[in-house]
Amino acid sequence: MGIYVQLLVRRYLTTRIIPLIAVAAVALCVALVVIVVSVMSGFLDNLRNSGRTLMGDVVVSYPVQGIPHYGTLIRDIERLPGAAAASPLVDTYGLIRMPYPEGSNKDVVTAQVWAIEPESFARVTEFDRTIWWKPGTAAEALAMREDDPRRSIDDTLHQDALAMKDRATGRPGAVLGMHVSVVNQRQRDGTYRPRVDYWWMPRHEITVTLVPISEKGTISQSNSRAFKVVNEVMSGVFQVDKNRVFIPLKDGQELLRLDEAPIVDTTAEPGPDGKYPVVGMSPARATQVLVRAKPGVAPQELKQQVTDAYEQFYLRTAADPDARVKAPSPAYVSILTWEERLRDLIGPVERERQMMRILFSITYLVCAGLILAIFWSIVSEKTRDIGILRATGASRSGVLAIFLHYGLVIGVVGSGIGTGLAWLVIRNINAIHEAMGNEVPAFVWVGSYLLAAGALVMTVRAGRHSRALGFLLWTVLTLVTAGAATGLMLHKGFLIWDPSVYYFATIPSAMDWTNAGITCIGAIVFSVLGAAVPAARAADIDPVRALRYE
Amino acid sequence: MNDAAPSHLHATSGHHAPATPASPVLLARDVQRTYRMGRVTVPVLKGAGIEVRHGEWVAILGSSGSGKSTLLHLLGGLDRPDAGTVEFRGEDISRFAPRRLDRYRNAHVGFVFQFYHLLPELNVLENTMLPATIGVGRWEWLRRREEIRERARGLLERFGLAHRFRHRPAELSGGERQRVAIARALMRNPEVLLADEPTGNLDAKTGESILDMIAEQHRAGLTIVMVTHDQWIASRADRVVHLVDGRVA
Ligand SMILES: Nc1ncnc2c1ncn2[C@@H]1O[C@H](COP(=O)(O)OP(=O)(O)O)[C@@H](O)[C@H]1O
Ligand SMILES: [Mg+2]
Repeated sequence: MGIYVQLLVRRYLTTRIIPLIAVAAVALCVALVVIVVSVMSGFLDNLRNSGRTLMGDVVVSYPVQGIPHYGTLIRDIERLPGAAAASPLVDTYGLIRMPYPEGSNKDVVTAQVWAIEPESFARVTEFDRTIWWKPGTAAEALAMREDDPRRSIDDTLHQDALAMKDRATGRPGAVLGMHVSVVNQRQRDGTYRPRVDYWWMPRHEITVTLVPISEKGTISQSNSRAFKVVNEVMSGVFQVDKNRVFIPLKDGQELLRLDEAPIVDTTAEPGPDGKYPVVGMSPARATQVLVRAKPGVAPQELKQQVTDAYEQFYLRTAADPDARVKAPSPAYVSILTWEERLRDLIGPVERERQMMRILFSITYLVCAGLILAIFWSIVSEKTRDIGILRATGASRSGVLAIFLHYGLVIGVVGSGIGTGLAWLVIRNINAIHEAMGNEVPAFVWVGSYLLAAGALVMTVRAGRHSRALGFLLWTVLTLVTAGAATGLMLHKGFLIWDPSVYYFATIPSAMDWTNAGITCIGAIVFSVLGAAVPAARAADIDPVRALRYE
Repeated sequence: MNDAAPSHLHATSGHHAPATPASPVLLARDVQRTYRMGRVTVPVLKGAGIEVRHGEWVAILGSSGSGKSTLLHLLGGLDRPDAGTVEFRGEDISRFAPRRLDRYRNAHVGFVFQFYHLLPELNVLENTMLPATIGVGRWEWLRRREEIRERARGLLERFGLAHRFRHRPAELSGGERQRVAIARALMRNPEVLLADEPTGNLDAKTGESILDMIAEQHRAGLTIVMVTHDQWIASRADRVVHLVDGRVA
């Protein structure tokens, strides 16, 4: 490529406004695609990662009846090369009687009740990280607002949550999802405060009512138990934070009659005390076993190992003459990775992202069209210069190169700026979203009105001096600024990202660099394509005709 | 002044060879050029011929529309004749491959136009260097950049434009612009300067000074072909060729 090509491209770029518009258009298109697809990718990643946060990588599940001898199964699983930890769980639905309001007529809500063994549960999931009421590190504490309750607590509640009991009194503890209680109010900065200090949940207790289901599948009498609320958790997955209540495993098993119990022979004669003879013990059960993979082990790989381990476990209990209660057959036990459990949710989002990519590819065509139009006008305007270049010895391919290179530079610069813009927006997307939710400060819209007034003055002046273009441009500017000012004034704030709809409490704010790379390459290719047609026209210009211009 | 230029800047030894009046630098034989506008054909040159010898200053004189510019464009390899030949030192340039013709325009001839035809985005120095930036490759440019710049500066200084290097053409007067255009035409030390009504857009006094500049180049040994419709301007040349009705009279 000739030196003059480089020089002219630089000059054509820096001495005129139109190419800046092209750069801005490319930048906006790139930013738009990168932001949208990054947020969707972040959303997908969040979905995938929330698996680890909530229930580890692989779940062995046999609902309602539960898996007996789960302690043995867990020991087997923890010996697997791919497993880091395993934890039993009883998963059921129940009624929660809340402490509020005043009086005896309390709120009752339904919730998914997870009875857990906190110590192993914290090893499998990120339970500890999701516990909300804890003092935090010094730096975190500094960042907390004046009125954040976390500023004035010590680590007691945190430790109580990890033990699932009120250690001062020894009573069993419960941990609630942050949105289970209607008292908690989410602040714009993502923190929580009780609406009324008195109803701050860790001061109170709740009553959990669970309904055991018999072997015949019928409902027997329900059981209730009071728990001291020891903490609340904030996983970021709205459905979970809205619906989940944690209680200790033992209490869950007892309430559901899944605890160890004697087996009585009802066909035999009752003893002298009126009771049937005990013929053995029915072991305690867990409806799920959660397994976490070792770092670097793929969930699918772990799933295979766990499936094999369960098979062995099943065969062993089936062959054990001492075990009166056998483990359920592998045919009825589901062993799934978290992603598989969420297939119904992840699948559509993935397809949606694909759709978005395709739809937004149309913006490339817009870019290409815009560059084509702009370059066409530049080539028309530069006809004489092209004649001069040819007369001075520039080749047709040199002229072609000027405009192709010009398009390339616009594509590259536009993509760069667009990526930077997208990066800024994505990094601050939650702050921007929050700001949009606020009313606009008066000085902003008053300032906009002043700008509009200034533009109006210019319009009138242009009108007086009968400058048509100036009049037109200033009129448009006046209308746009006045419209924007009115919009800003009337804007009362709204939140687009409603966590109850979008599943997560915050908008994903990670840049999808792969996608950004692909988007930039696309934008650059289409910029060059858009430049190609006018460039070919420029190369075809007859220098003799071009030089006759003046 | 041409002697001041480093010899390897010359595309060829060109007009530094002793002028042998017998050998023509440019020779157009019986050239025809017809323009087609839709179904109408306009025959502009109907078998014109011209011979330009080394070191000669030839004026092509003719009324407006007589085909002077067309003939000059053919001599400069900017256009090809429909019939006839245009020879540069014995070689028919109308049969040159496009690339070779580009190089011919770049290094062997220098154009000066009535309307200066400078590039508005480039400053005076860059406009002057343009033929060099077009003609040299990247490597040569890196090696000889300073030398090329020096040559351009030297030319401009000689033409009284030392204080104008960084100015844009729009900031110059017509006479100054034409001087920049002449500096550009001389940048690669061509064999022939092709001037198309170089004073046509200037007032008499400025025109005169431009003609003086051209005369000075001629004295230094440069071969010049100048197109004009003005008898008096033509009289400054060594020889006048009349173009009438597409033929040399
Ligand atoms: N590209 C073209 N298409 C049609 N006619 C042309 C074209 N270029 C020149 N002409 C015509 O050819 C004639 C000669 O043009 P030109 O060589 O510029 O004359 P001169 O320079 O002597 O004034 C004019 O009548 C002009 O209108
Ligand atoms: Mg003419």
